[in-house]
Amino acid sequence: MTDRDASDALHARVRAIIEAFARQSVAPESFEDLARDIARYQTKNVPGYARLCDSRGIDPRAIERASELPAVPTEAFKIARVFAFADGEAKATFRTSGTTVGARGAHRMRDPRTYAAAARTFGRFMLARDLAPPIDVLVLGPSDEDAPDSSLAFMCNEFVRAWGRPVPSDETFFVRCGAIDLDGLRARISALSPTQPVVLLATSFALVHLVDSLGDEQLSLPPRSRVMQTGGYKGRSREVSPDALRHAVAKTCAVDPRAVIAEYGMTELSSQFWEATLVDSHARPGVYVEPPWARVVPVDPETLRPVSQGVEGIARVEDLANVDSAFAVLAQDRVRRVDGGFELLGRRSGAPARGCSIALDELLGTPRASS
Amino acid sequence: MTASTDERRSAVHNLIAAARRVYEERERLVADLMASTGLTRPGVILGFESLEHDATEPELRELVVMTPTTDRVHVVLAANVFVAPLRAIVLARAAAPRVTVRPSRRDPWLARAIVETAKDPAIVVTADLDVDELPSGEVHVYGRDETIAAVRQRVRPGVVVRAHGTGMGAAFVSRAADCDQSARNLAADIVPFDQRGCLSPRVAMVEGDGGRARRFAAALHTELTEFQSRIPRGALSRNEGHEAARWRDTVAFSAHIFEGRDHAVALAHDSVPPWIPPPGRHLFVVATQTIEQAAAWLAPVSAFVVTVGSDDPTRARGAFPAHVRVGLLGRMQHPPLDGPVDRRGVVGAGR
Repeated sequence: MTDRDASDALHARVRAIIEAFARQSVAPESFEDLARDIARYQTKNVPGYARLCDSRGIDPRAIERASELPAVPTEAFKIARVFAFADGEAKATFRTSGTTVGARGAHRMRDPRTYAAAARTFGRFMLARDLAPPIDVLVLGPSDEDAPDSSLAFMCNEFVRAWGRPVPSDETFFVRCGAIDLDGLRARISALSPTQPVVLLATSFALVHLVDSLGDEQLSLPPRSRVMQTGGYKGRSREVSPDALRHAVAKTCAVDPRAVIAEYGMTELSSQFWEATLVDSHARPGVYVEPPWARVVPVDPETLRPVSQGVEGIARVEDLANVDSAFAVLAQDRVRRVDGGFELLGRRSGAPARGCSIALDELLGTPRASS
Repeated sequence: MTASTDERRSAVHNLIAAARRVYEERERLVADLMASTGLTRPGVILGFESLEHDATEPELRELVVMTPTTDRVHVVLAANVFVAPLRAIVLARAAAPRVTVRPSRRDPWLARAIVETAKDPAIVVTADLDVDELPSGEVHVYGRDETIAAVRQRVRPGVVVRAHGTGMGAAFVSRAADCDQSARNLAADIVPFDQRGCLSPRVAMVEGDGGRARRFAAALHTELTEFQSRIPRGALSRNEGHEAARWRDTVAFSAHIFEGRDHAVALAHDSVPPWIPPPGRHLFVVATQTIEQAAAWLAPVSAFVVTVGSDDPTRARGAFPAHVRVGLLGRMQHPPLDGPVDRRGVVGAGR
């Protein structure tokens, strides 16, 4: 079997798990079995990953569980090739924002169908499973044509393509040249059927701009509509606490606060995590749930070993859909396992300075937290 | 009111004499400094060797002549290595007949010791310095960007803020240099203060091919290994340990790592951007074909570079930005006491 055949076979196995979830049937194999095979494939085909294992004294052939293998720090995507194929084979490349040293992280994909299937399936389940397509989808963000290297734009476009009502692009995507087309959004919302719920997809900073721009004005969405908010602020708007933003958006859009749902994703991943307030009446806001093909493990920042339930750690994300890049990614975010999922506690902070050496966070600026 | 040049020169000499006495009696400060800095006992003793108690007359003359005068200076020491207060106080006293010093809360020992020993009535140490209330003069701030920004925001109009920010050192090893000797010298620059100083080298650019850079990195690994028994590294804080682990895992992807108990040296190609290691005896080594390529490789972070050490300072002076202090390898922690260590505020580094 060639390396490409091996990759194709792994993609097919991941998609089989995703499809089983879409049907709400039992997964065809265990997470662990597939994780181990993907991790071994990556140690063979991603030379940097083999070097990382070697530097830690880990023999990938000898491991019993995939969790024994090291996670790839997100920074590695900025300085190294984190992909298991030849340069020309990439069908999609998503990039993080730059840092002071100018390096943008790149997540290259040979087969973005797995990413699309993962995003579409879990997104539908968490955001719109009770709605029958076609659904009116509004995006406070650029289209993937306008932002071809944005994984968030790709995901939103995938939602539009999969369940959206077919309308012209300028009636779906309402950020143009970096600004919200408020008049266009008002016109589109006023033309909506009052009985058809809509899905509004937006970044947190776009929602802050929307709320600030509208002031006391309401932009009422039809009953049972819902809003996805994602990502950090990155200095692009004033910062608002998640709870305050949830309530402000709920008021502005005339939706239930539990229908304002946060999504957590990263350019370096192929899977996303969602708050479950829309699908589980007991779910707490701020608690994210994973799809069956990904898991978030808080680890001790120094030893990188898993910490106990309720203890804060750095997010080690194990994502089966990252077939050709990094099965396990070490994020910059602090997380904590709680009943029902995990909480996102913000970015890890840099080491407080002792002496006058420049700290890494001063050197690197603020790298992006999420797609 | 400003002081005469003679009075300023005399005050500066008095401070250097005080520093000499503090140095001679350094043993009494070691325990406090170990606790405040995290350095081991040999690490503190080594750090004292960077105290400029032996500044030369020409250096001091230049310092006094070049320092602009004012009526009073308030020194805020927020982030500095433990010997840095001497230069800060000397610069302040060379500038003004009245000096107030607010030492670092974590590490006040040397500032207090020098001022107490100098017995100069013009210098007062205070734990509380409300910069909003200062009526005139200058504030000299030694700290991180956010500290400097906060002081700038709070001072009254007319009060001048002179910022001495955090930074890093870099090394350039020329094609003509002996790899083993250069590695020995660079290790002696890395180890003081466990690399927590703004003069501490964090990257080394080795002119020549990859094989030469590898020989240099291996030699540096050997030298740092030797230091580990003679001057063991102090404990890293939890966050420092985290950053070190993360940096090692990141560079392992694209570099070979020579790792010891107390250090790590990453060897990469110059196609990899300067992935600056955290303090704690970590170095990023790259092979570079020419000094111009080295300067271009370093350019994305050059605004943070305070000093470059090299076996060929003449070429280095021509290649790296004007604000960078250039010195010999092995002497990076001993710049002459001729003005601020950090010249970015003076020459301009585009920050």
